[in-house]
Amino acid sequence: MMRVLIAEDEKPARDKLARLLREHDDVDLVALCADGLEAARAIESVRPDVALLDIQMPGLSGLELAAQLSAESAPLIVFVTAFDEHAVRAFELNAVDYLLKPYDKERLFQSIGRVRGRLDDRQTRHNAVATARTQTNAADRLLVPDGELLVLLDTASVESLEADDNYVHVHAGAKHYVLRRTLQDLLAQLGEQRFVRIHKSAAVNIGAIQSFAPLFKGDYEVKLASGRELRMSRRYKDALFARLGR
Amino acid sequence: MHTAPTLAPFEMPDELTERRKRRLLAVLWGCFWILMAAIAVQDQLMNPSTLWWEPLLWEGTSAVAGTVWLIAQLRYARQVRRLLDQPFRWFVRHLKWFPLVAVSFVAAIYTMRHAVYAAVGIEYEHEPWGFLLIQETIKVWLFLGLWLGIIFALESFSLWQEQRHRLATLQKSLAEAQLGQLKAQLRPHFLFNALNTISSLMQIDVPRADRLLTQVAELLRASLRMDQEELTTLGAELDVARLYARIMEERFAERAAIEWRIEDEALNALVPTMILQPLLENAFKHGVEHTSVPAVIVVSCERARDTLVIRIANSGEIVPRPGEGVGLRNCRARLRAHFGERGQLAFTSDGRTAEVRIEIPWQEQLA
Repeated sequence: MMRVLIAEDEKPARDKLARLLREHDDVDLVALCADGLEAARAIESVRPDVALLDIQMPGLSGLELAAQLSAESAPLIVFVTAFDEHAVRAFELNAVDYLLKPYDKERLFQSIGRVRGRLDDRQTRHNAVATARTQTNAADRLLVPDGELLVLLDTASVESLEADDNYVHVHAGAKHYVLRRTLQDLLAQLGEQRFVRIHKSAAVNIGAIQSFAPLFKGDYEVKLASGRELRMSRRYKDALFARLGR
Repeated sequence: MHTAPTLAPFEMPDELTERRKRRLLAVLWGCFWILMAAIAVQDQLMNPSTLWWEPLLWEGTSAVAGTVWLIAQLRYARQVRRLLDQPFRWFVRHLKWFPLVAVSFVAAIYTMRHAVYAAVGIEYEHEPWGFLLIQETIKVWLFLGLWLGIIFALESFSLWQEQRHRLATLQKSLAEAQLGQLKAQLRPHFLFNALNTISSLMQIDVPRADRLLTQVAELLRASLRMDQEELTTLGAELDVARLYARIMEERFAERAAIEWRIEDEALNALVPTMILQPLLENAFKHGVEHTSVPAVIVVSCERARDTLVIRIANSGEIVPRPGEGVGLRNCRARLRAHFGERGQLAFTSDGRTAEVRIEIPWQEQLA
């Protein structure tokens, strides 16, 4: 059985998708979401195999949502949209599929068939998320869980990213969020412009660095604007100092 | 839509034509006086009793006085520019200065000539003053009259060019507004979404799907009928807007409610065709499509003395608009093209509600 999530803000359109998918024996409809943020929460909690995302949705568009997913564990994505928008063309090669409204049952099932063939294909997931990132301002905004809610954080306010097993701690001023993502994937989303690695398991916002204090063996201690101190291993020292022009 | 980044050659018409006009006038003026001097010198060759420099002095003093007159005249011409459409009044305005011009002209040139003759110690012999005044006045009237004609021609030409330019800009902005308007009409996005809603409804509620399909068709027809130049009654405009609203309400089911507050009297008012629908579309876009919060859209139309006031307000706007979009600018351009300064559009927003307010001079359709 294929576990499928639907994110569509227009009720009739959502109903149509749900009705057609229920006709399909192989599909288990696990979530029906009315906007992007709701879908992001559901993807996090129910971990569907496939997400059918409308592009135009309030709050968080389908594209923005895809850009915020972990490239490693994202569901397969099928975009559903009313118009052959510019951004969608970028997915012709990289996403599993996209559906143009209005579509009929055959076209939807054709998509489902395509998806089934690629359920185990990591590269496809990766490409879809990476393409979504290039189509949105994914480097400037980070979707983080805040209690029961999901909020979009301005990445300029993020001071450090610290990995801990399968999680990343995001420090932004006095606030602290935990994301179930890898540091590598997070840095791939946020880009090299703002964040720089100082350790195998930590990266900092270049703008937040206050000072460096030398430790033993060429390691340094990095002091951040909030007063937080992190260790910088000598492996990353040269690259960072080169960027800072020292 | 792309706008050409280069400035059209007539971006600054006034200065350009003004400069060209002055240069042309200076060349003509120079040629004229060279010709006059040449004639005077030729005269002198036939008459050995005059010295070689005398004709040059005579013409030179006239040229100096004439140039002063020309400069003053050009200044004055700029002031009475609005009379160019009435040549008779224009000439009368200038000619009424001529007695004064003639007297001061003669006085100026003879003062200069006497001064020069006195300086070289020769006596300046000329006709008696009375005769001279009449003779010179006639000459002044003839020549300056001729030049006045030339100035008139140049001024008229530059005015004509300016008007032509203004007309061209007006037509250009009108064409742009039309194009933008057409683009803003029923974007494909809207149509495809409406079709999808129908496709969804027809499986569960055939009569409702049928009704919606008819409404989409009617709206499409109305938008194809749209003619920029024409005015229509507010009543007809509202019919189109209601079609659009019904389709949107169907799409956004529980998220949108629309309220109509229309004065009966306003229904006969004349408004530009397809002016309401893009504004309603804007309200849906910002108040409904961009937020999950249920929104209320209020359309109100009323007469305030000699003005028709249309307001389209939407609640539920969470993200304030960054400013006025193409839709509002187009709408304003159209109102301006139709009604000049009396066609107004104002947009206000406080982050929770947004309102577009249009004012149009009251015009009623005659039954």
